[in-house]
Amino acid sequence: MHVGVLAGGKALVTGGGRGIGRAVVEAYRDAGAAVMTCGRGARPDDLPEDVAWAQADVSDPRACEALVAAAVARLGGLSILVNNAGVQVEKTVADSTDADWDLVMGVNARAVFQMCRAALPVFRQAGGGAIVNIGSISGDLADPSMALYNASKAFVHGLTRSIAVDHGADGVRCNAICPGWILTEMADAAFALARDPEAAKADALKRHAAGRFGRPEDVARAAVWLAGPDADFVTGRCITVDGGLTAASPLNPGVF
Amino acid sequence: MSDGRLAGKRAVVTGGCGGIGTAICARFAREGATVVACDVAGTDAPAPGGVTVARLDVTDEDAVAALFASLAEEGPALDILVNAAGIEIEKTIEETTLEEWNRIFAINVTGMFLTAKHALPLLRRAGEASVVNFGSYDGFIADPGLAAYCATKGAVHALTRAMACDHGPEGIRVNAVCPGYIDTPMLQSFFQDAGDIESLQQAVRDVHPMRRYGTPEDIANLVTWLASDEARYASGQLWVLDGGLSAQVQQMRL
Repeated sequence: MHVGVLAGGKALVTGGGRGIGRAVVEAYRDAGAAVMTCGRGARPDDLPEDVAWAQADVSDPRACEALVAAAVARLGGLSILVNNAGVQVEKTVADSTDADWDLVMGVNARAVFQMCRAALPVFRQAGGGAIVNIGSISGDLADPSMALYNASKAFVHGLTRSIAVDHGADGVRCNAICPGWILTEMADAAFALARDPEAAKADALKRHAAGRFGRPEDVARAAVWLAGPDADFVTGRCITVDGGLTAASPLNPGVF
Repeated sequence: MSDGRLAGKRAVVTGGCGGIGTAICARFAREGATVVACDVAGTDAPAPGGVTVARLDVTDEDAVAALFASLAEEGPALDILVNAAGIEIEKTIEETTLEEWNRIFAINVTGMFLTAKHALPLLRRAGEASVVNFGSYDGFIADPGLAAYCATKGAVHALTRAMACDHGPEGIRVNAVCPGYIDTPMLQSFFQDAGDIESLQQAVRDVHPMRRYGTPEDIANLVTWLASDEARYASGQLWVLDGGLSAQVQQMRL
């Protein structure tokens, strides 16, 4: 599909064991890039053999720099960084604990900052590079009872713009993808909380102009484009991939 | 009266006898302004003290020009122009006839252009003047089956910024108010085809973070501020007033 678009690229994707991250890993591989990814557990059995795996927990403040160094050593350099690893806690501010804050901000915010900070000197030395952060529509609009998650994604959007502005002169491009409802295990867990999961799913479906939920591949295709030469003039942007969900009013009378 | 927030100011409000326009005119008068309420419905509607009603079709340039010519004879300047005249067509583009399309643009957009164009000489003479246009949150995000309406409101938003840039140096501020769901005859007509209106209305309220929809008085509060000297540094902006509705992602019923 993307044959050769990322040929010669050397990509590190966090959280690529499953879900959106895994789709990005496979799309990058298909597009010709050498890819390394990571996760908290052991290497998944079904991960393609030529994809490098590092067991790492990006919530550990010491992990990120080592991860970038490992990718440089293993891939012989680094030209693409995808910050995909993320966690979600479904609580309001009133219910959130300090431990929730440390978890959500540690993974969704601090790790993104640390990964970018570690990659920037490598990119600078190589004459450039591309960062693709996974933000969220929830960083711009509030999902109820997701306060810290929403805030962490707004951080990602702001950091994306800052890196683009501060490091553009070094040939670094930095963009974010803001997925809507992508059918991953995370989304299925959200439906499972509903009184009637099937009805909730049907209701959610009606709110998508595209007539379907997102798939990890939808995000992966955007990530290929943003990392590749066709997006050479695109930087500092947060690109929404949500099947039209946020183009429509939150009050969608057709659904009532 | 004389210590009102709009004391001594002269205002023209189009759509001045509609749901929101009536509330604006009444509030302006209470705040000490002299108000001309323009409406196609004309003098049939009762007007509160301080408000004069004038029949006006905003799509008729001769009539608009004549109105502001007569205002120029009665007084030196105009401080406030509120463009509240507007209609809604509840159709997709496929169902919308060219005639309907032209009609909604004529009222919602061209009417605004005409009143502002012919008011400008009078607004300039005020030294400091305020124009308040009616946009909508529908100018940012789509309500289904309101395509032409959404498009007119997007045009209003762009026109608002353009006018603010062009006429700011002349002391004229231009802003748009972008209401969400406001309890007006227009909203009731939007509900009408829905069957069980009461349960629909409750569902609509529940989607709002404030758990109610807005009232014309809520809108009048914002318009009054934008028209007043307190807002003297506010220009070129699109002021969303929707009880928090558009701060959210679409609310799934889980």
